[in-house]
Amino acid sequence: MGVLGLVGTRKGLFLLRGDDARRTWQAEGPLLDGWGVYHATVDARDGTVYAAANHLVYGPTVQRSADGGKTWQRSKQLSLPEWSGLTVNAAWHIEPGLPQEPGTLYLGADPGVLFRSDDHGKTWEPNLGILEHHTRDRWYPGAGGLCIHSIQVDPGDRRRMYVGITAAGTFRTEDGGQTWMPVNQNVAVDHLPELYPEVGQCVHKLLLHPARPERLWQQGHCGVYRSDDCGDSWDRLDGNGLPSSFGFPIMIDPKDPDTAFVIPEKSPEYHYSPDGQLAVYGTRDSGQTWESMSDGLPRPAWAAVLREASAFDGDSLYFGTQSGSFFALANGTWVEAARHLPPVLSVEVRQWST
Amino acid sequence: MVHVIVPSVLAAQAEGRQRFEVAAAAETVGDALRALPVADLLFNERGEWNRYLNVYVDGTDTRERGGPACPLTGAREIRVIAMIAGG
Repeated sequence: MGVLGLVGTRKGLFLLRGDDARRTWQAEGPLLDGWGVYHATVDARDGTVYAAANHLVYGPTVQRSADGGKTWQRSKQLSLPEWSGLTVNAAWHIEPGLPQEPGTLYLGADPGVLFRSDDHGKTWEPNLGILEHHTRDRWYPGAGGLCIHSIQVDPGDRRRMYVGITAAGTFRTEDGGQTWMPVNQNVAVDHLPELYPEVGQCVHKLLLHPARPERLWQQGHCGVYRSDDCGDSWDRLDGNGLPSSFGFPIMIDPKDPDTAFVIPEKSPEYHYSPDGQLAVYGTRDSGQTWESMSDGLPRPAWAAVLREASAFDGDSLYFGTQSGSFFALANGTWVEAARHLPPVLSVEVRQWST
Repeated sequence: MVHVIVPSVLAAQAEGRQRFEVAAAAETVGDALRALPVADLLFNERGEWNRYLNVYVDGTDTRERGGPACPLTGAREIRVIAMIAGG
């Protein structure tokens, strides 16, 4: 066995194959040459690779491959109802459904829209509860647009789902997506007149812990937060040992609900490593304390890591930078598994058979 | 019969085909491009040409002749070109 990194970049998808020790890597690509791959993932239920691929000229697409990336088929063109007055600007994140719903996938997209497919990604239907949400007039785009980038399905109750929207906040449904409730209590918005509004939070990445699904983690524009009650309330966690409250990605350990990792950047105005010290910070006590993990990373480095550009495969951590490096943690030391890639937009990692 | 030539990124989305032959029944450029297997990458969900697309008929920019409504009478070649952009 080894590990397979799906590294989406601004110019295509790279497959990086590493050995068990995660020290020796080989790159294949670019697949989907010329497309900005905002996110790519393997559907663990059947091995299909899905990519949210966007192009300045040719628009947003979802592409799928049943043969490991050798050939690709496009989904039917994404579209929103004409009455909405909206059109799809970009495909952002593809989330396979639960094992008991084969063929079902979810897609987050710009402008703040959620799609569902029940035919293995051939066609997609917009979620009207999100499209017509009564707070939509208070959502606003970040620099990357108004995007749904996080989709989390409760493994114990598929009617309960969460989405993270930039910049609208976290929303929860308990009826399979018919209605959605903002769940942003205590989550700050430093850049709006009201510090704790109902919506408008700029969540950067939202994750649910699969073994304790009432526990959510988020890295936001204005802090790192954890919820232990399905998002009804949030505790801020960036006061103890983090050099900055700002960053984009967050990773969690599927084996340990108390463990999480973030990659801080200086501030909302300065998107790079604080003081040129690129590091991943980890907590093993639910966010009460954080420790730097930087052995093997370049110093100094003014790196920027985007919201989708990190992963935890259950054994190790991985991330890619906008300067085109891909790092893997190998027995406590970071290894630069690839460099000089196009800017890295997304990272997912799976085991693979050598 | 009109020949349509597309850029390499589009050809990769059409099993490598860069040249297509469109039947003479196509009366306009829009008709011809809608018949391609990559039509969804040329038109947005409202049926409009994507913004950064240039289309030439026998060397003439179709913007000067009605865009998608540009007639194909006597035309031999349609060339699709992505707008030049940096980055």
